[in-house]
Amino acid sequence: MDSLSTLNANLLTASVILPLALGLCLLAGRLLPPSWVSALALLGFAFPATVTLWYLLPYSGSFDALVKLRVHDFWPCTLGLNGVSAPLFAMTALVGLAAGLKALTQEVEARPTYLGLILFMFSGTLGVFATEHIIGFYFFHEFALIPTFILTLFWGGEGRRSAAMQMAVYLTVGAMLSLAGILIAMQTANLTRDNATFEELFKALSAPDVQLPVATGALTLFGLGTLASLFPFHSWAAPGYAAAPTPVSMLHAGALKKFGLYGIVMVAAASMHIGEGALGQWFLWCGLGNVVLVGLICLAQRDLKQLLAWSSVAHMGPVFLGLWVGTSRGSAAGIDAAIFLMVAHGLSCAALFLLANAVRTRTGTYRFEELGGLASRAPILAGFFIAATMASIGLPGFGNFWGEIGVFLALRAEPLWLQALVASTVVISAIYALRAVANVFFGPASAHLEERATQAPFGDLGFTERLAAAILLGASLTIGFVPSLITERTNADAQGIAAAARRAVVPATPVTAPAVAPTPSAR
Amino acid sequence: MSPDFSSLVHWILFLPLGAAAFSALFLRRQGALAAGLSTATAFTIAGLALKLLLQAPGDVTWHIELARLGEVSLGFGYLIDANARLMLFVVSFVAAWIHLFSVGYMQADGARGRFFAGLSIFMFAILGIVVADNLLMTFIFWELVGFSSYMLIAHYFDKDFAAAASKKAFITNRIGDLGFILGIALCLHLYGTLDFVELQKHAAAAKMVPVAVGALLMCGFLGKSAQFPLHVWLTDAMAGPTPVSALIHAATMVAAGVYFMARVSFLLAPEVLQWMAISGAGMAALAGLCALAQTDIKKSLAYSTLAHLGIMGCALGLGHPELAVLHMAMHAFFKATLFLGAGSVIHGCHHEQDMLKMGGLLKKMPLTAATFIAATLSNCAVPFLAGWYSKDAILEAAWHGHHTAAFAFLAVAALATCLYSGRMIRLVFLGEANSEAAAHAHESPWTMTLPITVLGLVFAVGAGFAAPFLIPASALQVVSPALAEMHFSFTAPSTIVGLLALALGFGGALKFYSLFRGVDALQKLSPRTYALLEHRWMDGLYRWWIDSVQRRLAEFIAFLDLLLINGIAVRWIAGGATAALGHMTGRTFHRGQTRGFALWIVIGSLLLVGYLLAR
Repeated sequence: MDSLSTLNANLLTASVILPLALGLCLLAGRLLPPSWVSALALLGFAFPATVTLWYLLPYSGSFDALVKLRVHDFWPCTLGLNGVSAPLFAMTALVGLAAGLKALTQEVEARPTYLGLILFMFSGTLGVFATEHIIGFYFFHEFALIPTFILTLFWGGEGRRSAAMQMAVYLTVGAMLSLAGILIAMQTANLTRDNATFEELFKALSAPDVQLPVATGALTLFGLGTLASLFPFHSWAAPGYAAAPTPVSMLHAGALKKFGLYGIVMVAAASMHIGEGALGQWFLWCGLGNVVLVGLICLAQRDLKQLLAWSSVAHMGPVFLGLWVGTSRGSAAGIDAAIFLMVAHGLSCAALFLLANAVRTRTGTYRFEELGGLASRAPILAGFFIAATMASIGLPGFGNFWGEIGVFLALRAEPLWLQALVASTVVISAIYALRAVANVFFGPASAHLEERATQAPFGDLGFTERLAAAILLGASLTIGFVPSLITERTNADAQGIAAAARRAVVPATPVTAPAVAPTPSAR
Repeated sequence: MSPDFSSLVHWILFLPLGAAAFSALFLRRQGALAAGLSTATAFTIAGLALKLLLQAPGDVTWHIELARLGEVSLGFGYLIDANARLMLFVVSFVAAWIHLFSVGYMQADGARGRFFAGLSIFMFAILGIVVADNLLMTFIFWELVGFSSYMLIAHYFDKDFAAAASKKAFITNRIGDLGFILGIALCLHLYGTLDFVELQKHAAAAKMVPVAVGALLMCGFLGKSAQFPLHVWLTDAMAGPTPVSALIHAATMVAAGVYFMARVSFLLAPEVLQWMAISGAGMAALAGLCALAQTDIKKSLAYSTLAHLGIMGCALGLGHPELAVLHMAMHAFFKATLFLGAGSVIHGCHHEQDMLKMGGLLKKMPLTAATFIAATLSNCAVPFLAGWYSKDAILEAAWHGHHTAAFAFLAVAALATCLYSGRMIRLVFLGEANSEAAAHAHESPWTMTLPITVLGLVFAVGAGFAAPFLIPASALQVVSPALAEMHFSFTAPSTIVGLLALALGFGGALKFYSLFRGVDALQKLSPRTYALLEHRWMDGLYRWWIDSVQRRLAEFIAFLDLLLINGIAVRWIAGGATAALGHMTGRTFHRGQTRGFALWIVIGSLLLVGYLLAR
């Protein structure tokens, strides 16, 4: 290992450890002066993003070196990044920074504890994507979930108790089920806790003589699906996000939720036959449920935060469909597009939660019937909100577009009705998202707003909130204009996974000669 | 092919994006600077487009791969063929003058930074559609056009009608885009490419293209070009500032659909063409008649635009994409003039838009009146004016194609055009002033009158006739195939129909609308006919769908989700799980004691982690 690699490896470790360590300091924070609290928290929130920026620079070996990066002997697992996790890690770092900036502006009780817990959550989420090790993957997930519950329970909004309880039950059960599936797979593949990395499992399961029990795929898929709010296991998600404090919603819906999807990509997609037979059919219909049924539920929402929470569930639909077509048809485009959409959705969804909260702090409400005409009083907030809305409904220029269009194109060989159902998301999401924009920002000022403006005059978006939103939207625009930033990292892994899935679907194909699809070009 | 010219295209395409970004970031409060920057950019682009039109030899092509999603390559590139060069010139030239007009028109507006940034974004988007060399890139800029249109319609966002209209425009366009996406996916599936040149090769080799390809791609055109049944957004889109109506909702954006259909005309099966011909001609006739039942000058013009879009659609359907593009170009000139003239009138009459309250403006706003009337005559296809060349040719094409139904509809459309044009001239410019605002009208400043003079007198009147003199020969080869198809004969059926419509329609309208003052003559004499034309049937249908079907369905599903999934299934399972976990934990759950609850989570998680580590 040369010195640059060592540096990169140490920086990765530090990205995960530092927020945790600073979070611990803050928990003991009653002894710290307030300015120290903010400074330490900011350091914890900003460090991983800074490291990510460094990784993107050419001097660092430009992320590519990192794709093969390993940090050995770090308890309890091996840290490292691969082609799929590197973009997710970068996204998490940015979402965490934005969430942290938001948290720093909030006036809450027991502020050091609050910030410390968010740092824990951040560290755990980073760990999820920075580990090569399946057990570590679960460890970090649980590690991030515990502060999520606590934060929702104590600092959450309306309905926080039942939301936190529901979330706890769902997520624990989901994690347990999927873990059971994966443990079976590990057993079948003769892996022990110590050598159970994603790569080893992938290799072992790709061997021609390995026969997994049928239930493995189902347990893993629906367990992880629950964590990623796959219909109909989504009931925890919308109330959970809506009740949580905003930085928690940002981190959870934006980054942590991608745990389930990442798990499906890394563990289930290649060799668990989740796209085949009856299981594949179920997967397909559940994913369509996210697109169509949850999309329709979004149309019925009358509260901004509820709408964002539900739409965050609905937007998982195309991701699931991308994974479905990736596994059932061995389409690398489906896998690639799904990962792209995971990253882009993390950014746009976090931005929307952030900005919706800015609406709430100014108007005191999330309810559409009380809102209206805010754009005249807060034009910058309106501008950012519209940009984030456009990102979330897949306007070209933002990252989400590539993910969505990629999924649609990956589905090109499917029956027309199926394609039409999936693509209907472009209409449904436009309806509810633009309705929200019009209800909150356009039209004459609502009576409530007038009253509020006289009682507690408010200004436009402040500097910190502006910075946080600009980071998220800037990142989304960057991958929107230069999509190869993501695809160059994910392509090789997506091809490998798709090829493995193809072999799984058609076991007759010799393993030694990975089938490469004819490459149609959009040229 | 030629590196020089592709870099020219880079400049044309990305200059407006740079201007928009700069204005949005730094000139939000410096309206004048933003206006200057945006206008200078627009004129620069017009100059560059002219250079391209006159000098580029043959097709300009350039292509890169943006990214690769699995097996699908996402490309970005230029294909500047004859149609593209004409379109590029028309768009940038009309846009430049409309930018200049806006400088005067938006003088007093508080949000000029936003407005001009929006115009520049629009320029970027529409130019992208023009130069795109593949379906995906077309779709990207297609969506951006929809977005900029949304932002500009919502310019007066504190008005409810603007908020509703912007939303309606975007969503209606997206419904069309849904089909467009499926069409793109189908092309990729069938031919393995999205590149226009490649697609054309495949289509030629295959001899027969499935109906679905053309039908799906046509959906995008239906939305963007406001064709039946997705035409409902265009008239509402007049809620935007008048220059926006002129540029986007008359001259360019709606024409983008026509241009796109011309570009992929080789993918359109006969059945698709048949539908486009009939529905286009039918809409032309109907929209022309509906224009008679509008009192808002901009709405009346919007119906006129719908009618002309129908004519273009019909030309595409008749298998003459080059005629459609030619009419698109001519229409861009005279309709932009009409809208800018209307803007000048509205500005002069202190923001009065009701034609019944105008009158006698010929004397008060002579320059505006002269150009408006000139453009109107071009709109009515008076022989040897711009509109005549293209519209007459399309009528002729319908006749020669033995397409009786289309010809009949187009004849009605021609008559309707003359009727509403005559009505407009009569109500706005002739007679006496019908309101205080009109009585005190004044001519607009030069920034507004210069553009309408240039666009109106030089182009709306002379574009066709003067083409051989105004436009150098190298550029003429672009339009000459279209021009060559026309027959300059007074005995041709199209000429006879055209002249009859002109005499009956225009003359009749001038006379008819002199009968009463301050009220609409048709409304007075036949309220039922007027109401029939005024009523927006499709809007009613859509409203019914949204209120009675979509909303109820959404609420029903949300209820089912709450009842079945969240309520029964989850509570039942969760209850069972809780019971199984033991009496104590269950009690904590039900009491909701937070401390006990948190403890439970921590214990559970620790157990899990412990298990994992110990295994």
